[in-house]
Amino acid sequence: MLREAVRDITTSFGPDYFREKARKGEKTNELWNALASQGYLGVNLPAAYGGGGCGIGELAIVCEELGAQGCPLLLLIVSPAICGTILARFGTDEQQEKWLPRLASGEDRMAFAITEPDAGSNSHHISTTATRDGDIYRLNGQKYYISGVDEAEAILVVARTGVDEKTGQGRLSLFVVDKETAGLTFELIPVEITAPEKQFTLFFDNAEVPADHLIGTEGDGLRQVFHGLNPERITGAALANGLGIYALEKGAQYAKERQVWGTPIGTHQGVAHPLAEAKIEIELARLMTQKAAWLYDNDQDAGEAANMAKYAAAEAGLKALNQAIQVHGGNGMASEYNLAHLWGMTRLLRIAPVSREMILNFVSRHSLDLPRSY
Amino acid sequence: MNIVVLVKQIPDPAGPSELEDDYTLDRNCKLILDESDSYGVEIALQLRETSGGGEVTLVSMAPNKEVSGIRTALAMGAEKAILVTDDALSGADALTTAKVLAKAIERAGDYDLVIGATESTDGYVGTVPAAIAELLGLPSVTFAKKIEVQEGKIVVQRQTEAGYDLIEAPLPAMISVTAGVVEPRYPSFKGIMAAKKKPCDIIGVSDLGLDVSAGWGQEILSVEDAPARAAGEKIEDDGESYLKIVEFLENKKII
Repeated sequence: MLREAVRDITTSFGPDYFREKARKGEKTNELWNALASQGYLGVNLPAAYGGGGCGIGELAIVCEELGAQGCPLLLLIVSPAICGTILARFGTDEQQEKWLPRLASGEDRMAFAITEPDAGSNSHHISTTATRDGDIYRLNGQKYYISGVDEAEAILVVARTGVDEKTGQGRLSLFVVDKETAGLTFELIPVEITAPEKQFTLFFDNAEVPADHLIGTEGDGLRQVFHGLNPERITGAALANGLGIYALEKGAQYAKERQVWGTPIGTHQGVAHPLAEAKIEIELARLMTQKAAWLYDNDQDAGEAANMAKYAAAEAGLKALNQAIQVHGGNGMASEYNLAHLWGMTRLLRIAPVSREMILNFVSRHSLDLPRSY
Repeated sequence: MNIVVLVKQIPDPAGPSELEDDYTLDRNCKLILDESDSYGVEIALQLRETSGGGEVTLVSMAPNKEVSGIRTALAMGAEKAILVTDDALSGADALTTAKVLAKAIERAGDYDLVIGATESTDGYVGTVPAAIAELLGLPSVTFAKKIEVQEGKIVVQRQTEAGYDLIEAPLPAMISVTAGVVEPRYPSFKGIMAAKKKPCDIIGVSDLGLDVSAGWGQEILSVEDAPARAAGEKIEDDGESYLKIVEFLENKKII
């Protein structure tokens, strides 16, 4: 019923709405607010703070269904999935009281800043520093490819607060940084993704963050981040699966209707079989996504499953969209068929939130116990 | 105020449908809330909210203990439900359905109002609300597009071809509401979660003290496809064709 409810709300907006808003550089706030007002953006957050009291499995359903209706909302992966999870788990009472009700209601959004120009997937080498100075921390450094900073109230920032003397690796800590903080500036990164969410570079120049904006214990950031990254991968996978479902439905519909030599083009196996393959791969990816969500929600190690789900979903989603465009011939590129504009985001999901290559590294090393390459 | 809403659970009209050997609709599939009943649910919830108290009780009759559609209406905000499910009712006609629903309504306790749709989306018979009113001895107001509750009575705008009639009836009463008169709310996530725990009393025909073993006075002898739509009339535009369109619409009483 959750799926149907999200579908009903989302179809009242539809893919035309999404594409036109994104093309104009506008936000899809009407859709966001419609979902928010009925409680669908905070389904995974604690009921005591106005959330739905359920888990990542439920949030993944919301993400998948938004994708399946051609309205992928990227910030769901960031605000409730990463930031909400970390705050609910490690935030102080004050931080939880301040932020969780606002994230759960969708009234406020929180961005997440980990990636840096010189430390892409290597979180240990984060160079943004936070130095304690009395009641404040001073943040210095740079982050990039941070989604939705313009529409967020605050940013969850991963910074280095020290160095582990044994390993030489950075000790990380998490901070909730208000967007209006003096010393924090941000710049748009133009990207070829048709989406309402924009990408930004952040500059911290002696940005003063109150010490009580530190999440949990100083130096515990890496462990905290990992709790947020599995939900990110699972909901990212769900979004990719949803986009694949959307593309396949359109591709199959067109293949049934389009006639060139007196029969629907879907009669030809050259058209039908690639769609069937994509369908199989999407369903397999959905199953792995559900497994990962179940493991996560039941406090079991979800790392391997979340990585595999994200890998499979991104591959399957892209293949489905690719084939749906191919089936449409020239129409696949026409705006009114609402397919090609989703290419950027679907392609992005192969790179982010974690690249397919990093997942293959993970699986090689952790699942197959092969020697590490880096 | 306490309101009973009749909700029918039907096969998804968007999906393929099959007929049973007796030409009635095969309902052994997932059933959903009939959209035409979602308006009655919405009106009931609004009337309850305006009155400041009371309960909205759903009454439904469906095979296989089906509750999917009921859960949707509970998620919208109704308090509880009564479902009559019994193999003996397979293929029941409209009068039998009305008798069953009337008995189930009596089980719902004290009520001020019973609301139904004007007709279901799968059967389109449209006699059940009036039959229930007769069986329960209630005033029957059909095709309501707006309902206002005043002291001990309702004032209803009844849709007509030309406009609407203004009708007053004492409470309790039976009302059928037309589709599209209100915007049914989307269930909230909390509503969906709460609906799982709301009571749904699932009962059979014998629990209602009814005996339907004699069957009913209706048998479907044959079913034919709806006639194919005839080719329309083509009007060549000679600069005056709008007059013909206006005439056509006037003949149809559309304008």
